[in-house]
Amino acid sequence: MATIPGLEVIQSSASLRGTGTGLRKLPVVSKLIDTSTCIGCKACEVACQEWNDLPSTKTVQDGSYQTLPTMNAVFWNLIKFNEVEVDGQFAWLMRKDQCMHCADPGCLKACPAPGAIVQYSNGIVDVNPEQCIGCGLCETGCPFDVPRFSQQTGKMAKCTLCVDRNQVGLEPACVKSCPTGCLHFGTKEDMLTLANERVKQLKADGYANAGVYDPQGVGGTSVVTVLKHGDRPELYGLPRDPSVPAAVRVSKNWLRPLGLLGMGAVVIGLVGHYLRFGPRKPPSPPPNLPAA
Amino acid sequence: MADPAVASTHSSGDPGILAAQDRDDVVVGNELVRFRYYTRVVHWLVALTFLICLFTGLAIWTPIFGWMAPLFGGLQVCRWLHPWTGIAFSFFILLQFLHWAGEMKMTAADKRFTQLKNFLAYMRWQYHDDEVGKYNGGQKALFWLSSLAALGVLVTGVVLWWPELFSAPIREASWILHDITFILFTLLIFGHIYLGIAEPGTLRAMISGTVSKAWAKLHHPKWYRDVTGDQRR
Repeated sequence: MATIPGLEVIQSSASLRGTGTGLRKLPVVSKLIDTSTCIGCKACEVACQEWNDLPSTKTVQDGSYQTLPTMNAVFWNLIKFNEVEVDGQFAWLMRKDQCMHCADPGCLKACPAPGAIVQYSNGIVDVNPEQCIGCGLCETGCPFDVPRFSQQTGKMAKCTLCVDRNQVGLEPACVKSCPTGCLHFGTKEDMLTLANERVKQLKADGYANAGVYDPQGVGGTSVVTVLKHGDRPELYGLPRDPSVPAAVRVSKNWLRPLGLLGMGAVVIGLVGHYLRFGPRKPPSPPPNLPAA
Repeated sequence: MADPAVASTHSSGDPGILAAQDRDDVVVGNELVRFRYYTRVVHWLVALTFLICLFTGLAIWTPIFGWMAPLFGGLQVCRWLHPWTGIAFSFFILLQFLHWAGEMKMTAADKRFTQLKNFLAYMRWQYHDDEVGKYNGGQKALFWLSSLAALGVLVTGVVLWWPELFSAPIREASWILHDITFILFTLLIFGHIYLGIAEPGTLRAMISGTVSKAWAKLHHPKWYRDVTGDQRR
């Protein structure tokens, strides 16, 4: 999905810049997930499979309502049913697990294949399977454990935030299917406003720690989540303070330039050495050898 | 000491080349056999697989070296070729390790060689030590360091190959260590290739297997004395 009409690529894996001119200003879009009104009906799971033409997956019964233990390459939207204890009371916390569409995407930073992971000017992070080489580095780059690899093709696949739908004025399939209004779609600004209203309401309802999950360690995400227990995102299986993993930053920002510099310096140094000292020829004829 | 006449009875070919098939450390005419056939084949298999791993890996490492990918058929091929060639490389360098490990113990002369001031003098072509044997301290250091580096890229490479099997901290550490190891390994090999070229006669030892007496006496005086029996210094 690398070329979506009307969208520019602003960031591209293994490239200095994206492919766009940077002139078109598009509002960043977002999905709002209000976990407090999710009823775990899984309509979004079905809608996602249907819209994206993903094959049906054999479900796994592991003693909970959850369809599968984790997402996979043909299952991009999984409702996680977390059974946890909060303040001495049992809580059944549902959360829609999917790609978070980070503003600063670790997967894109980690990806070595030019153009395999792109970010459009509306903030959506997308995979371009023709360019994907299936190396798996995005898996280490993602702080949310989202990328999955197809067993057939070896390529990464994940939620596209239905970029194909929203370019023709439609909301993502999951949002369309949600019966409780727990999912919303719009500009990030509007979604944050809505999220903050929901948090205010939840606080009024007695959830003093309700909050919006929009982690700044990855520059914010285009999936904004409202949590009743906003002070404890890990109850929902969300990392408390996610960021692009240190390995990605150290490798790309430090080791790569240092390594290139080192290799260049050594090559230049060796050429300089040859010019200065030249070849080291054995003496001929050897001074203390009998002539052969 | 071998009789050069024995080798030359096999055919009319170069007696040095013939003797260099299966025997090290013998004098043939005015030449010394330094590396027999097996040694050279293993070395060049290590070199070939190293270079394939290096070029496919560099193309994946940074788009600056993206132009190397088409040499192998594109980045998709590089991604496939890199780990499998890595396995082949690991196998060949293991053979090389087993072949050479016994000869690579550091002697007093080798330890002297690896002192920085002596090594720098060597690089100005000014260092000479009469006790340097078949391999000098630098060559032995290269042997141990590259064996260690090969183990490093293998272990971390396996983690990067099957990320699903390892936890995030192990994957992250492997990524960093794979980078650091391959960079240092590559710099080491740059130096190795350079000295093979900058010291004429050295590269030939790894191709035809033989070196001149003058070369042996200059670079490996103790080995020269041991092989020729000529004790003059």
